[in-house]
Amino acid sequence: MKLKKGLLFLLLISLLLLTACSNSSSSNPANGNGKGKKYEGTPVNIGFSGPLSGPAAYYGENILNGMTLAIEEINENGGFEVNGEKYHLNLVSLDDKYLPNETGSNAKRLVQEYNTPIVYVPHSGGIFATQVFNEQLNFIVAAYSSEPDITKQGNDLTIRIPPKYEIYLKPFSEYVMKRFGKKIAFLPTATQYGKDWAEKLEPVWKELGGEVVYKSSIDFTKDTDFFTIVTNALKKNPDVLFIGGPSEPTALVAKQARELGFKGGFLVMDQAKLDEMQAILGDWGMLEGAVSVLPLPYSRNEGNKNFIDDYKKKYGKNPTSEAGYHYYSVYLFVEAMKAAGSTDDPAAIRKHIQKAIDRMPSDKRIYDIRKVEKDGGLVTPFRMGVVEKGKIVNMSEKYKN
Amino acid sequence: MDTFIQQIFNGLTVGSVYSLFALGLTLVYGILHIPNFAHGALYMVGGYITLMMMTHAGLHYVLAIFISVIVVGLLAVLMERVVFYPLRNTPPLQDKIAAIGIMLFLEALIQFIWGAEYRSMPTPFGRVVEFLGITVTTQRILIIAAAVIIMLLLYLFLKKTMTGAAIIAMSQNREGAFLSGINANKTAMLTFFISGALAAVASSISAPINLVFPGMGHLVILKAFVIIIIGGMGSIPGAIIGGYILGFSESLGAAFISNDYKDLIAFILLIMILTLRPKGLFAREVQ
Repeated sequence: MKLKKGLLFLLLISLLLLTACSNSSSSNPANGNGKGKKYEGTPVNIGFSGPLSGPAAYYGENILNGMTLAIEEINENGGFEVNGEKYHLNLVSLDDKYLPNETGSNAKRLVQEYNTPIVYVPHSGGIFATQVFNEQLNFIVAAYSSEPDITKQGNDLTIRIPPKYEIYLKPFSEYVMKRFGKKIAFLPTATQYGKDWAEKLEPVWKELGGEVVYKSSIDFTKDTDFFTIVTNALKKNPDVLFIGGPSEPTALVAKQARELGFKGGFLVMDQAKLDEMQAILGDWGMLEGAVSVLPLPYSRNEGNKNFIDDYKKKYGKNPTSEAGYHYYSVYLFVEAMKAAGSTDDPAAIRKHIQKAIDRMPSDKRIYDIRKVEKDGGLVTPFRMGVVEKGKIVNMSEKYKN
Repeated sequence: MDTFIQQIFNGLTVGSVYSLFALGLTLVYGILHIPNFAHGALYMVGGYITLMMMTHAGLHYVLAIFISVIVVGLLAVLMERVVFYPLRNTPPLQDKIAAIGIMLFLEALIQFIWGAEYRSMPTPFGRVVEFLGITVTTQRILIIAAAVIIMLLLYLFLKKTMTGAAIIAMSQNREGAFLSGINANKTAMLTFFISGALAAVASSISAPINLVFPGMGHLVILKAFVIIIIGGMGSIPGAIIGGYILGFSESLGAAFISNDYKDLIAFILLIMILTLRPKGLFAREVQ
């Protein structure tokens, strides 16, 4: 009896420890981000609040990988200098399980406990929640979401890292409509983001002469099987399916559509990545005729090749675009701190983002960003990739405008 | 018409998985008298063990499921011995908290060991076949067939063997069973083993049409709670029928009413059933 109580106690303690770990300031222990090493100079804390457990944990992990890689590189190369003083970076990551209310309290905690001048938030719900008070508490929201409304809030301390999804609507539609036909069925993710995407896509598709034959959405947090809904959509004989959400379940939707005999094309929301979808399906066959944002490894150039190789060496897989953008943005903020002459004045850092873009070292230009808009959006050149004859083809140039 | 048959089939597939999963939950309810919140975690662990046996040990799918069934069954027994047995004389709240604790623990553990990424499980039964104008994959036929066979075997086991009768007796009245000479400990352990095994089978047969990731248990556990409430807590036919009711209401509701309202339909059904039969469809009269 005593022994059993002891065992139970042990189990409880280990449980407590585990939950404590996942909530504490340490970043992903599995990746070992060089914690405990002593770096030169004063630390600057960089905050992150994103999903590290639950269904979206993988997304959060990819982001942290990108940030961790950049931070380690910077620290191991001796940190950086602002106004003649040495600094190094320290990543403080908190789990918000993808829930906006948790993002809000995490962001407050990051600023009040760790004094972070910048807090990264990788989902639109959480970004809106932090935008309510970030100007008051004085910190920059590094927003990773292509939701256009983020930069329409008139928030002076928001930097939107990826491009707005609006730029994809017309070229994506033109391509699939020309190749497959005018009838489209909507099956995006049931999140606010997915619904907004669908709402903006519909007029564009109609303007090009197309027809929306079926409209619904898939809740990836509840649905275990997509056969039912895909059957319904296919009953209307669409030429194109509009799908999207986290890459992996989105890939399953595509797969089940093919199993049910769908021969048309896929218009894939920018949230899902073609290369991650392919990894789940095994080959490109099922994704023939899919159009989406061009995956990072398919546009190797001077700016990103070191990053792609280093990332692959460290994590054993290709970097996703969220890893790439976050890696880039860490360097960008460091440049901005140098230009602003301050590590703890968010307004000054924000003001010097354009200067930082101009000064970015050429081998850190993962994406060829040249401009930050007044509203805080970084401008990435248009990227589009399609699957043709079992291969990804870069269509960025052809469909630009 | 084709769509109707197709949707019946889709409902049957989903319902089979729900039923298998809910069966394990309902069996253990007989012993714990609370829904075992950790059941979803057992389901998840089952999926991972099958997958790892296939990808790392290179075993055949069927053999991998077999190992997964044993491992998860034993894990459930361990859970009973280490956590629930010592709590047997405490108020049910303690059991509930312990079950939630186990769930969090197992999820964090699996994420720590194998990472958070989504994985897909390969299957030798991925072929697409068409009959009666509907399209199915052999994996989906396997899901239905396996579920029906397992449920049949379980039913025979519980009704026709002494051990099975002991399990049912235990769930009705622990002390009474004890007085009539049933080894309560052994029976409890066996029940947990069966429950874990069912969870492992359910996840292993449904994983190839889905994905394996640490949060996969959440998708089914909530539905299983609904099912055992519809069917009556602790009732075995209730879990089976409830599983199929939910499966069909999802597929047919989505097909003929609206996909956006299919959860609403399921819950209206739940409210209606509870209004007419407050203890569920198959609840025992005396508790």
